[in-house]
Amino acid sequence: MKQLNINVIGLGGIGSELCEKVAKFFNFQKDYHIRMTLIDGDSYELRNQERQMFSGIDNKAVVKHGDLMAQYENIELSFCTTYVTPENIHELLHDGDIVLLAVDNHKTRMVVSKFCSGLDNVVLISGGNELLDGNVQIYVRKEGNDQTPRLTDYHPEIAVPQDKLPTEMSCEELAEAEPQLYFVNLGVATLMCWALYNVIIQDSVHYSEVYFDMPSMKADSKVRKVPVRKTEINEADGSRLHQEAHQL
Amino acid sequence: MSLTQAQLYDKTNPELRQICTNMGITGMGKARKDDIVSAIISEQRKMKRREANAKKKAAKAAPKTVSKSIAASTDKDTVRAMQGSFTSVLQAPNARRGDKNTTTLRVSAGASSGEFPVVGKTVGAVSEFLREVLNVDALAQGIVNGQPVQPSYVLKEGDTLEYIKSAGSKG
Repeated sequence: MKQLNINVIGLGGIGSELCEKVAKFFNFQKDYHIRMTLIDGDSYELRNQERQMFSGIDNKAVVKHGDLMAQYENIELSFCTTYVTPENIHELLHDGDIVLLAVDNHKTRMVVSKFCSGLDNVVLISGGNELLDGNVQIYVRKEGNDQTPRLTDYHPEIAVPQDKLPTEMSCEELAEAEPQLYFVNLGVATLMCWALYNVIIQDSVHYSEVYFDMPSMKADSKVRKVPVRKTEINEADGSRLHQEAHQL
Repeated sequence: MSLTQAQLYDKTNPELRQICTNMGITGMGKARKDDIVSAIISEQRKMKRREANAKKKAAKAAPKTVSKSIAASTDKDTVRAMQGSFTSVLQAPNARRGDKNTTTLRVSAGASSGEFPVVGKTVGAVSEFLREVLNVDALAQGIVNGQPVQPSYVLKEGDTLEYIKSAGSKG
């Protein structure tokens, strides 16, 4: 039986749907033993009801943990009630993990991408959206080599984010919410499921990003090269130092 | 005419929804007032940018050649996302120089894509052309064959051109 450690980071409009679908799928896959960790420092509010799936008002990870526990007995579930930060990420993510990133800020995407690029093996699938369109990025790293570009490689807005981590925001900033549509969140979650299925079940690592646009009813997947990077050897301990030699 | 945030908040929800309809903003049928106002302000900003770009173009003198007019507008283009590949086919070997090949370009802007004719255009020229065709309003740096290039880079046969669309920030 193959064991997978799946971390779902962000349990809002995308993540609250995504974790349900992934848990439902793997609950009935007899060849897999799934450990799923739900991570979010935020809490559900009544105003989130129109586009987020939850059954109670509490920390998001706590609520979804309860929701999934009640439905999917074959999944080993745990939760973490903190936001991901540079300080705690090494406690949350580990080599060989699958990371489903469904957060609402680029800085967290940058932190997670950077950390994952230092692991030997990882699958990182990140989704995001605007009001009417969205995208999913697929970063796969095997045996210390990037198979697809990192989240930051072709996206300067993620590499040098202009926004903040949730832990850096004021209460007013956290309360600000730009309009989003449930169906767009759902579209991102569905594409993330497709990406997960392709990478894990089909062992197919081909596309690194997919965009969709709801008004035009279109989606398009992209194949992009992994940028050439310099790898230097740390003279002190012989470890590899990765450098962004070719940051686009 | 743009309305300020305060002016928008003075309006009733039905009035705001009517404004959304007039502006082509969808999905606001059951949205809260805060969200509707945010959507309108966001759309107003986009409209202002489009208007500013249109004025700049109109102010330019009539170009002597098409290629010159396209090449002139490079740095301030606003296409946000495109990806394309060029294919040239030798269709008329006996034709005069410049007419022998037919070059087509597959371009995508985020989720949208299409086939477009391109004959030795600069990256900036193509972006301007596609900004009009694809109706997109922000331009990232062009990347040819995986390498960032200047807008003045002239595309060659076999090149692959891509403008990256920004990742969705929300979730």
